Amino acid sequence: MNVELFVTLAPWAIATLRSATPLIFATLGETLTQRVGVINLGIEGEMLVGACVGFAVGVATGNPWFGLLAGSAAGGTLSLLHAALVLGAKANQIGSGLAVWMIALGTTSYFGRALVGQQVTPLPSLGSPATDGVPFLGVFFSQMTMGVPLAIAAVVFASWWLAHTRPGLRWRAVGESAIVSAENGIRPNLVRLQAIVVGGLLAGFGGAILSVDYTQTWAQEMTKGRGLIAVGLVIVARWRPALVLPIGIVFGLAEVATLRVQSLGSIISPHLLATAPYLAVVVILIVSHAFARRGSSMPADLKSVFA
Amino acid sequence: MNGFNRSRLVIAGVTCFAFITLTLVFFALLGKPPFEMLAKLAIFAVGDAYSISQTLAKTTPILLCALAAAVPGRLGLISVGAEGQLYAGAIAGTAAVLAAPALPGILLVPFMLMSAALGGAAYGYVPGLLRARLNINETIITLVLNYVSVLLVNALVFGPWKDPDSQGWPATISFPQGAILPALPGTRIHLGLLLAVALAIGLHLFFTKSRMAPKIQILAGNRKVGEMFGLNFGFWVIALMALGGAIAGIAGIAEVSAIQGRLQPTISLGYGLTGFLVAWLSRHQPLIILPVALLVGGVVAGSDALQLYAKVPAASAVILQGLLFATALAVPGIMKNMRFGLER
Repeated sequence: MNVELFVTLAPWAIATLRSATPLIFATLGETLTQRVGVINLGIEGEMLVGACVGFAVGVATGNPWFGLLAGSAAGGTLSLLHAALVLGAKANQIGSGLAVWMIALGTTSYFGRALVGQQVTPLPSLGSPATDGVPFLGVFFSQMTMGVPLAIAAVVFASWWLAHTRPGLRWRAVGESAIVSAENGIRPNLVRLQAIVVGGLLAGFGGAILSVDYTQTWAQEMTKGRGLIAVGLVIVARWRPALVLPIGIVFGLAEVATLRVQSLGSIISPHLLATAPYLAVVVILIVSHAFARRGSSMPADLKSVFA
Repeated sequence: MNGFNRSRLVIAGVTCFAFITLTLVFFALLGKPPFEMLAKLAIFAVGDAYSISQTLAKTTPILLCALAAAVPGRLGLISVGAEGQLYAGAIAGTAAVLAAPALPGILLVPFMLMSAALGGAAYGYVPGLLRARLNINETIITLVLNYVSVLLVNALVFGPWKDPDSQGWPATISFPQGAILPALPGTRIHLGLLLAVALAIGLHLFFTKSRMAPKIQILAGNRKVGEMFGLNFGFWVIALMALGGAIAGIAGIAEVSAIQGRLQPTISLGYGLTGFLVAWLSRHQPLIILPVALLVGGVVAGSDALQLYAKVPAASAVILQGLLFATALAVPGIMKNMRFGLER
């Protein structure tokens, strides 16, 4: 292949990865939460809170890393509400997730008003004099930030951890049957609490990546259903962390393609183009349900809350 | 049965108490005098004729969206799609008006309402079909589709349906007089409210007295048992999802026609989610939905007015609804734990 092709491909590849990153974090978090038998629709709210707090702290401190950490902590904190309702009060999981979402929607649109129009310092580019001259890689690295490698590392680590460690085994066992796990000396509620909080931390981090690193702005309700899409994508990924990466990338590609078509001055309405990710998740769900053997990989305890 | 009802009442009472306490805390956190704010909220909700008119205007879409969530809810389905169905109904209803703007009102209003109901029904039919045929979770599909119809309304009012004389403002032409739902003079109380109340009563009869009622009840309780009796789960999933969609569709066109007078990007202020909350709190019982929708409509209208009067943030209504939802979910479980603790 010639160099010119690489030069055109590089921005596409990096744009795809960067737009996929927030979704990859959220989907990974939701996958881990669902693996222990808990569904959390509240990750839409946890992403939103992560985006809001992350942006605020990023602006206040001038350090994007503090922003990302604060956003992650905010998502984790909010997920405690879901944990309290679901584990403490044995409330319906779908209802609880929606309540968490509503509270996040209201509070972020209130506190976020002060953030509109503010400037945040983004994560530094990974480009260095060593890579600058190299075709493809030069462009690739100069437009990339640490968000992307972190997302990939998180996915790899989570798949390994879930499959090959004792705590990972405990998580999988609780997802299959809380009762049997309890009989074998595992405390299912403790494991579920951990998994809900880990899901919240990852969703909050994803939200903060979205506002601090990707869009570099705050806007009310800026996650626009990414958390809900993530819940759908968990099913497509068959509850396997490793599959979160390719599925997230497909979504990133769809988003980038939409943006590029728009910038080419297409006659198609931008609003119509913006429906693409939502329709894509519906289509992917249809395909995945029509061709995969249904339910075979779903954690057994999840079936009671989630048909 | 009596003890059962009493424990329900106790739970409802404790929930109300806990919610009011949380509301007071919320106002205190905002730095406002909490009791005065609560009193103002009540006055702005029902204090005079104008407030009551505002409350009833907010109640109408909330009531319709609650019924839209309750209908599939009777089968145990969790549909959170009223918001999207509302926008779909608004599109279909507006299409009818734009197609025949010159019709007299006596024909145009029914045509517009039917079209809106069909649009909403189609939007509910899709997740229903996916659930019935492929067993795809209806909650996720309805939530995701909500974003699509909102964007479709945007595409239409920024594009082909934009009024050429509106000078950049994205909206259709103003609806002709014949397409405006009749309203009580000088108020925002319109035919939609009457329709909504009639629907609530009709649905109550349908779900308790009709020949279909026991069938739906059996299927909701245990799908396998129902299918042993020869009942078709898939049929009822599709039928009730579409019916719920139709009701939300009417909410959409009612807002467009009676409140806004033309189609523009923002039709609903989260009525779909609010309606879902109301249906949930009422355990999908239409006759309980009526007062609960009125109550929540009052809170929404009251906090709207409070926003102007006391500079309370616009997001307050959403936060309060979220708190109400969380409280209602938490109270039964906490009380059960406490009772269990006492018995032990």
